[in-house]
Amino acid sequence: MTASPSAPTVFLVDDDVQVLKAQARLLREHGFKTDVFESAETFLAQHDAAAPGCLVLDVNLPGLDGLALQRRLAQVGSSRPIVFLTGHGDIPMSVQAIKAGAVDFLTKPVAGATLVAAVRAGAAQDAQARQAMGEIATLRQRHAILSPREREVLAGLAAGKLNKQIAGELGIAEATVKFHRARLMERMQARTVAELMHLAARLEL
Amino acid sequence: MIKSVASTQRPRGPERYSAATWIRARPCTRNVFPLIVRTESGLDGSVTARRLPVFAVRCGAGRCLCAPVWLLLLGLLSASPSVLAVTPHNVLVIYSNSRLLPATVEGDRGLVEGFAARPDLTVAVSAEFLDQPRFSGEAYERTFVTYLREKYAAHPPDAILTGSNEALDFMLRHRAELFEHVPIVYMAVASTYLQSVSPLPADVVGTPLTYDFLGTVEQALRWHPAAGRLVVVTGTSRWDREWEASIRAQVANLRHGLSIDFLAGLPIAELQQRLRLLPTRSIVFTPGFFRDGSGREFTPREATRLIAAASSAPVYATYSPFLGTGIVGGRMANIDAMGRLGAQTAIALIEGADPAALRMPAAMPTPLQVDWRQLRRWGISARAVPADAIVRFKEPTLWEAYRNLALIGSAVMLLQAGLIVALLLERRRRRRTVAALARSEQHMRLAAQAASLSTWIHGGDTVDATAPERGSRHADDAPGPLVDFRDTLARISPQDRAVVDTALRDALDTNGEFEVEYRIEAPDGESRWYSARGRADHAQAPRLLGVAIDVTQRKRAEIQAEQDRAALYHMTRVSLLGQLSASIAHQLNQPLASILGNAEAAQKMLEREPVDLPELREICADIVAEDHRAAQVIRRLGVLFKRGEPLFEPLDVNELVRDTIEFTRSILTTRHVTLAMHLAPALPPIAGDRVQLQQMLLNLIVNAADAMAELPEDRRVLTIATTLDAGAVRLSVADRGPGVPVEALEKLFEPFWSTKAGGMGMGLAICRSIVEAHRGSLLVTNAPAGGAEFCALLPALASP
Repeated sequence: MTASPSAPTVFLVDDDVQVLKAQARLLREHGFKTDVFESAETFLAQHDAAAPGCLVLDVNLPGLDGLALQRRLAQVGSSRPIVFLTGHGDIPMSVQAIKAGAVDFLTKPVAGATLVAAVRAGAAQDAQARQAMGEIATLRQRHAILSPREREVLAGLAAGKLNKQIAGELGIAEATVKFHRARLMERMQARTVAELMHLAARLEL
Repeated sequence: MIKSVASTQRPRGPERYSAATWIRARPCTRNVFPLIVRTESGLDGSVTARRLPVFAVRCGAGRCLCAPVWLLLLGLLSASPSVLAVTPHNVLVIYSNSRLLPATVEGDRGLVEGFAARPDLTVAVSAEFLDQPRFSGEAYERTFVTYLREKYAAHPPDAILTGSNEALDFMLRHRAELFEHVPIVYMAVASTYLQSVSPLPADVVGTPLTYDFLGTVEQALRWHPAAGRLVVVTGTSRWDREWEASIRAQVANLRHGLSIDFLAGLPIAELQQRLRLLPTRSIVFTPGFFRDGSGREFTPREATRLIAAASSAPVYATYSPFLGTGIVGGRMANIDAMGRLGAQTAIALIEGADPAALRMPAAMPTPLQVDWRQLRRWGISARAVPADAIVRFKEPTLWEAYRNLALIGSAVMLLQAGLIVALLLERRRRRRTVAALARSEQHMRLAAQAASLSTWIHGGDTVDATAPERGSRHADDAPGPLVDFRDTLARISPQDRAVVDTALRDALDTNGEFEVEYRIEAPDGESRWYSARGRADHAQAPRLLGVAIDVTQRKRAEIQAEQDRAALYHMTRVSLLGQLSASIAHQLNQPLASILGNAEAAQKMLEREPVDLPELREICADIVAEDHRAAQVIRRLGVLFKRGEPLFEPLDVNELVRDTIEFTRSILTTRHVTLAMHLAPALPPIAGDRVQLQQMLLNLIVNAADAMAELPEDRRVLTIATTLDAGAVRLSVADRGPGVPVEALEKLFEPFWSTKAGGMGMGLAICRSIVEAHRGSLLVTNAPAGGAEFCALLPALASP
């Protein structure tokens, strides 16, 4: 079955070619695109970070192993969800993986349904993450067009200060503060002050 | 005056002449040789002599011819006169006295020998005897002359020989009327007589005879220096008186102080009496005599015999025929030599020699002749006898008579003695050997009993064995002390029979030694173990010598130990596999995961149309392959878990390494250990037990991985290498850990010695015992670059 162009890509990393081949087949049958790598190093060097989808990663890899790869991805800010697969798993290993944000920790041989479910979850998580990343970017663009006085007022509002307090700190009239507030709410596309506060929180102001 | 002995002899009583024929066969180197046939007769018989060439057959071995053969040949030849073509030379011999007189016989023998010495001549010898003094007188002589003349008219002699003075005298007197120009050779003529008749005609020749009285007496006095008395014994006849006179004339020449007595003309009895009473320091001389004082007549030889028999003093004489009558001896001519000389002279004359030119000796030699027996009797030392003396009647000593026999006998006795000595020595040696053997056997029996040994010999057709009286099952099973090794061979457990057969045959073929252990099936079903050890012995027939010992106890202990060891190995192996369980699970889960993935993919593919058949086929092929892979893992694992007897088989060490690595690959990955393998290509196989060696290798790998746990991940490198090293395969496992502390190097392989918390300390001990069971060695060294290297050297089966 040919995956649709919008289908998420599953990146598979395993040193066992046969396993790689079988799982890629299975996932393709479930509508995923697949991209296989025989080592963590190859994956790092060659994978398409922009492609949506998740990573199915074998823990036991010669050289850079699965957990190390997870750490490495986190370091470079990748949020690609990881489904761990292992021939033999132990609890400390799975705890470590999950704490580091793994979608799931599965042991081989894994049932197709389990794997597909995990991959779907991973893909969904990736999609969400990608969506969230998109909203923040819009907010940042809106925030970028605010005047410096408007940003100062927004920062004061985000800190929970009253208009009077802000006017006092800025040395302007309270009415002027109200004016700026109305103007920036319009520019940030916030209908209420509560919504503006939420947006400010997302922008980590 | 010296008388001719021959002429003085007178025959006793009437004598009849009968023809006496004797044959002398003188073998010679030619096939044809002469034969003298001689017929003698007196006046009343015809006298013929002829000499015939006769073909004689020589005997191969001896030189004698049988008389009957000769007679037969003679008869044949007589019957054919044509053979007698040669005219014989006639020789006539005239003797003055009787034919039987000893001197005549002796002279005649010499004469015949003299003629026979010339076998090329045919000589007919006739002999005539005047028989004086018994027959004498003119009428007799006349008749005798007439007889001779008429008898020899037809065969006139070519030469005439005379014996004694009287015969020469007769012939000289009647020569003109008998055989006037026939040459005469005289014999036995005294020189004194010759002087009386000289000068003789030129054709009358001969050699006179002398009687050396003085020489004889002087010799006697030399032998008896103490003798003070010489007794001369003579008779009463004319001849005797002449002898007496001659001696009396000569005694004056004898030394002074010697008293000389003449016992002349005594009757024989009185004479003998006187001779018996002679004082000891006397010597007696006698010429013999013809008549004693009583008128009784004797031959001089007989008289001498009586004298010598009676005399208490040694008797000497000068006449060779007296030798043997009891006289000691004297200087005397040989009468037979005289005959031979006569014959030679006659032959010379017949052959036409000039009588005047003949060189005749001046006199017959008178050598000293002695009777050896008398020398002994009178105590005359052999040393005192001159070297040129002729010793008669010498009894050959035993040595002389039986020299060869004695030599052979002595040699035989010596050999026999030697043999006896050798046999005695041999017997002694043998006794010692037997005793030593008995002792040795006793010791051996004792030793064999103590050790429960049975000994046996196995060779060719003979197989026997001895067993100690008790203690050995060999002996218990046997009815007697001997064990038939063939029975033993037959009872060897079928499992071991081939091994025993091969070992025995190899030992026989290579003339070497063998050692083999085998089981004997006991009737009760329980088998017992024996160890046989021995060697081939080709000294005689090819055979094997050896001992067998019951090693059941040892063997059981060994088997128990083997089982214990196997159990320990198994236990540690299982424990090791437990450590590796995660790795093994991974190893097994990989193919399972692959299979499952493929299978589910296939299921999914089948849910929609159209089915991608090529893809489906590929999936199925992958499933099958992965299933095989899983089965392979399980099989390898199963072998490791199995608890079985060691099985030694040819192994490829590289393959063993690769198989083993599969179980550890995962654990090495987990521990971030990088594996480096340097496997030499084309290694020769080794004989080994796969499971044990894998166990050893697993152990070494896990140890190496453990040793590097503290290292940074990038330095965790484990190197497995194989090389061929002087006929051994070298398998090394090296880590880069801290290495083995020097003080631990020795203890490392000891059981229950461990550096690991919770470690049992059996791993390396077992590794080493495994390698040693493979006749190899396991060593550990600290590498210069750091880390420990464990190295197993395993003997290769053959060079690649």
